[in-house]
Amino acid sequence: MDDPNKVWPTGLTVGESEELHRNIIQGTQIFGMIAALAHLLAYIYSPWLK
Amino acid sequence: MNSISQKVVRAWAGLGPGFLPFADAATPDVPLSRLLRLSLFQVSVGMALVLVVGTLNRVMIVELGVAASIVAVMISLPVLYAPFRTLVGFRSDTHRSALGWKRVPFIWMGTMMQFGGLAIMPFALLVLSGGGNAAAWPSWIGPLSAGLAFLLVGAGLHTIQTAGLALATDLVPAESQPNVVGLMYVMLLLGTVISAVIFGVMLEDFSPGRLIQVIQGSAIATLVLNTVALWKQETRRPPRNTGAVAAPAAPSFEAAWRRFISGDHAIRRLAAIALGTMAFTMQDVLLEPYGGQVLGMSVAQTTLLTATLAGGGLIGFAFASRTLNRGADPFRMSVAAVLAGIPALGLVIAAGPLESLAVFVAGVFLLGFGSGVFGHGTLTSSMRLAPRDQIGLALGAWGAAQATAAGVAVALGGIIRDVVAALAARDAFGPSLAGPATGYTAVYCIEIVLLVATVLVMAPLIGSKRDASFAESRSVN
Repeated sequence: MDDPNKVWPTGLTVGESEELHRNIIQGTQIFGMIAALAHLLAYIYSPWLK
Repeated sequence: MNSISQKVVRAWAGLGPGFLPFADAATPDVPLSRLLRLSLFQVSVGMALVLVVGTLNRVMIVELGVAASIVAVMISLPVLYAPFRTLVGFRSDTHRSALGWKRVPFIWMGTMMQFGGLAIMPFALLVLSGGGNAAAWPSWIGPLSAGLAFLLVGAGLHTIQTAGLALATDLVPAESQPNVVGLMYVMLLLGTVISAVIFGVMLEDFSPGRLIQVIQGSAIATLVLNTVALWKQETRRPPRNTGAVAAPAAPSFEAAWRRFISGDHAIRRLAAIALGTMAFTMQDVLLEPYGGQVLGMSVAQTTLLTATLAGGGLIGFAFASRTLNRGADPFRMSVAAVLAGIPALGLVIAAGPLESLAVFVAGVFLLGFGSGVFGHGTLTSSMRLAPRDQIGLALGAWGAAQATAAGVAVALGGIIRDVVAALAARDAFGPSLAGPATGYTAVYCIEIVLLVATVLVMAPLIGSKRDASFAESRSVN
């Protein structure tokens, strides 16, 4: 893992895998926040836990 | 196969490539199917635009009973992001990515923002209207969440379009650019028209549930269209393949901008784009009420006006692609388009006193045509003059000037019409100008002045030379 230019069997280097991973984490966080906000607004409009 | 069928098949075969508009946009490296797939991002942008500016405008006022002033503020929010397109373009030019992408991360980020905005929008609008249980909650939640939704959609669509157009410019050689611009414009228009029809049909039988389905459906459509559009489009240029020991530090935005505006009449070009766009869009929301109020057209007839304007635009795009392919100067063509706009507005104004629908429709068609040719010419010239390392910045600046001017012009058009009409109704201009046409005519006259100003600003650009880095950039891509 210490050679930054080594291309692993996936076709990616460590740096590239890290960037891919960063994007997946960031995407999950954004989609999570959107979903939470949409649920909150839906709850304000029509509470389902009554 | 009988002889008639054989003849028909031969006719189709002969028509083939010539019949398909923009089929010649493709090159051996970038086939038409790939370009068509890329242009799907324009369909998603068109869909978001028509939803925000057209469909929801009506739904919020008529079905949800939201105050018109709040609706106006919400609809203008996406325009606020338009000036930042320059920054988005710059950031995509200088983006450092281990994966070797410059445009894909921005198209994806824009897609997430547009998706997010559309995903929360229906609930935000329902809360904004005070429906359901929303009245039991603080009243600021509605406007804040709706504002956030509109801002996200605006930020998303401007980011997608800027990075998407930059990617299209990266992909195709210079000689195909006019056709690609034409294709991109046609897809934007198609996205707008098809979505408007679908939204109209789906929301005819309005209910809150249906509103949620339609808007969230468009969120999913955004995600699907843009993922299909950008799939395997951008060539990966990872740093490891460049052989560079260490990449030089990216310039600051200020330095890049200073370099950009010091190039070939950049400020003059942007001013011309802004002025021309204002001149061609100020009447956008006024043509239909003008037809109804002054010429007594029915709702169905005024809807056809929008189709006439779009039809004129389509023919304009095709004409511009053809003309530029034959080696015409895009600035000369744009000036000609602006000059065609003056008689077009003259016809629209004259239609009132003449009470002639034919004159009005001819004017509207010519206006759509001029606007299409102008938009095509200015975008093509922006692509051509973009230095190789500043394609994103150059297209961002084009988009910022164009989208900001369009937003401001539509708002100004409405305000000027209302103010002048109110003054005319109080006999401020004498009894002969007290009719409903005065407010509209004032806007059309201002547009003519703007068109003349555009010609004056643009004339020195005719024949301006391409940037020196241009030819070299094309040989690389």
